[in-house]
Amino acid sequence: MESGNRTAIKVKTTVKLRKELGGWLLASPYLAMAVLFFLIPLGWSLSLVFFDWNLISPVRNYVGFYNFREALSSTRVHNAFLNTYKFMAIIVPSVMVVSLGLALIVHHLPRLKQFYAVGFFLPYLASGVAISLVVRGILSYDSAFNEFLRSVFGTSPRWLRDSFWATLVISAMIVWKLSGYYALIFLAGLQGIPRELYEAAALDGAGPFTQFRKITLPLLYPAFYTVLVLAVGLCFGIFTEPYVLTGGGPRFATHTWQLEIYYQAFERFRAGYGATVAVLNAVVTFASILVIRRIVESWGTRRGFR
Amino acid sequence: MRNFLKVFVGILVLGLVGSSQIEITFWSAPNPSQEVFWRRMAEAYMAEHPGVKITVSPMPETPTSEAGILAAIAGGVAPTASENVFIGFGDELVRSGAIVPWNAFTGWDELIVARSMSSTIKAWEFPDGNYYIIPLYVNAMLCAWRIDILRELGYDRPPRTYSEVLEVGERLKAVYPDKFLWLRSELEVPTWWQRWFDFFVFYYAASKGQALITGNEITADDKAAVEVLRFFKTLRDKKLLITEPLATGFEVGATVMTVLGPWSFPWWKENYPELVYGETFVLSPPPVPDWYPVDEPIYTFADAKGVVMYAQATPEQRQAMWDFIQWVLSDPEHDLLWVEITGMLPARDDVGVNPLFTGYVEKNEPALLPYAKTIPFAVPPFAHPEYVEIQELMGLECIYPVLIGELTPEEGWQAWKAAIAPLLK
Repeated sequence: MESGNRTAIKVKTTVKLRKELGGWLLASPYLAMAVLFFLIPLGWSLSLVFFDWNLISPVRNYVGFYNFREALSSTRVHNAFLNTYKFMAIIVPSVMVVSLGLALIVHHLPRLKQFYAVGFFLPYLASGVAISLVVRGILSYDSAFNEFLRSVFGTSPRWLRDSFWATLVISAMIVWKLSGYYALIFLAGLQGIPRELYEAAALDGAGPFTQFRKITLPLLYPAFYTVLVLAVGLCFGIFTEPYVLTGGGPRFATHTWQLEIYYQAFERFRAGYGATVAVLNAVVTFASILVIRRIVESWGTRRGFR
Repeated sequence: MRNFLKVFVGILVLGLVGSSQIEITFWSAPNPSQEVFWRRMAEAYMAEHPGVKITVSPMPETPTSEAGILAAIAGGVAPTASENVFIGFGDELVRSGAIVPWNAFTGWDELIVARSMSSTIKAWEFPDGNYYIIPLYVNAMLCAWRIDILRELGYDRPPRTYSEVLEVGERLKAVYPDKFLWLRSELEVPTWWQRWFDFFVFYYAASKGQALITGNEITADDKAAVEVLRFFKTLRDKKLLITEPLATGFEVGATVMTVLGPWSFPWWKENYPELVYGETFVLSPPPVPDWYPVDEPIYTFADAKGVVMYAQATPEQRQAMWDFIQWVLSDPEHDLLWVEITGMLPARDDVGVNPLFTGYVEKNEPALLPYAKTIPFAVPPFAHPEYVEIQELMGLECIYPVLIGELTPEEGWQAWKAAIAPLLK
């Protein structure tokens, strides 16, 4: 009897091991890629932060924490830090509203839902450089749009040369680019809400607005949560739009972490300092996402959404 | 058995010949026409020198060609030599011990004479007295004017001084209120290399080519610099200079003047065939302050780049590359081919007077002639380890605040000098 149990345990263990091995095998391409393109560069970057080095000089100057001190007192880094939250304050609520709106529209379409969903997703695939050039054309001083504004209002904004408008333009471009993608997440959430809930609510006399507030929004909490975390993380990675349109100006009004890393590492060839800014960026990104997650989770728990 | 031996010996001989062949690599600029030139040179050289195998490929340009070179050196896969290096980046490479001096090779002096570079090469000397870059081409920056529009306004030649420019501008606005004299949206952008194509051009013209920075000292002509800033500010205040992007520009006559390098001509020929030198546009040196002597030449900025040899190459490879470069640059016909293929002028003292070049230029691309004649007065970028930050600060601390009226030209200039002082220690 005992030996039978032992054999059974042995078989179970072997099956489990085989399954685990299979899992590891299937995950191995991703793991290899993560090690090669994430962990090794991360380790390399972390080792660079203590040096003043341009990657090629035979002499690596050990500077201890000097790079951190310089970065923490740099106006350029301060601007990148603050601008990220400025962009976040515009982008995150806007992208939530627009993508939810798109998802609701597509969800209620009688037919061709997939077609429209893919259509709204397309901007996400578009080249940032190409879109930026198109936007620059639309907002150029002599564009039809600005000619129209001048004919009606007598003036047109300095779209890309005024800090307020430049921030707004870049934010709008990012919202436009991402809304279709995030709408798919909301759409998946909407499609997962049982129709019976709405029918029951309707029988109880709930109108469309009440149904939306009491059923749709609470049940979309996981989608909101996902989109929020993605959108917040994205704000720390803004690069192409300000790089092409404003160069981070005017006066660093659209300067971002990624622009600063690029400038230091690839234009000034300060690999050590660039790595330091990248590490600070990573720390601030993780901290910000953590704080926002905690806030949203506790809010969700309080409201009974989780 | 005998046949087998023959084949074996044959393979052995081929193997020995193959192994005695020196392999060198050359990175051309990431510009198809330059790649074509170097490929043709390499093929011709290899036909004459079977012991050398030259592989030509365009340099990686992601995210920039400079970063591509640094990454290759860091990864130990640098080519034997490459072009497309300007003196500022060359200085970075020299300080890192990544490139070797050309003048250490036997035959350097002969090459300088053969290529007629005695005067041009002076600007490429490094502080240690060595020459790490052989200048390949010099694109002097000139001002192009829409002469068809100027004629409509009653002028038969472009303005020479600031006052004349302002006068043309006032008449332009009176006749065409929607046109601008100059579009330079980058003036409000701090991007460091944009300064080459605005402030530097006008500054070198106003200062008779006075160096901005020499070693670790600011050697700029303050008076000239302030005049240039005041000129920019006046142009903007009078709405003659537009610093916002325009969808159209000089090519369609929305603006009358532009700072131009010769690389624009092939593009114009393809897209704006109506732009004909002498008919719709002419070229002139950059405008100068009113006090600038009439009989003195006007200087300008030169976008100039050259060839460097990387220290990672073996001594044999270096010698082979030197022989190849010497062969390419010693023959004026090769420089003529360079002009024909790339449309850019070689960095030679005689490019504006040698009939070989002037004859070709007059017949095929007369607009290049003013560029050729300006080369002796064209100043290449300055070499300083902090050139990027120095030029970035010029936009941030000086030009932008002056343009928006936050600082006077004098204050703006002093602000830039103060901002770069810590970088010059």
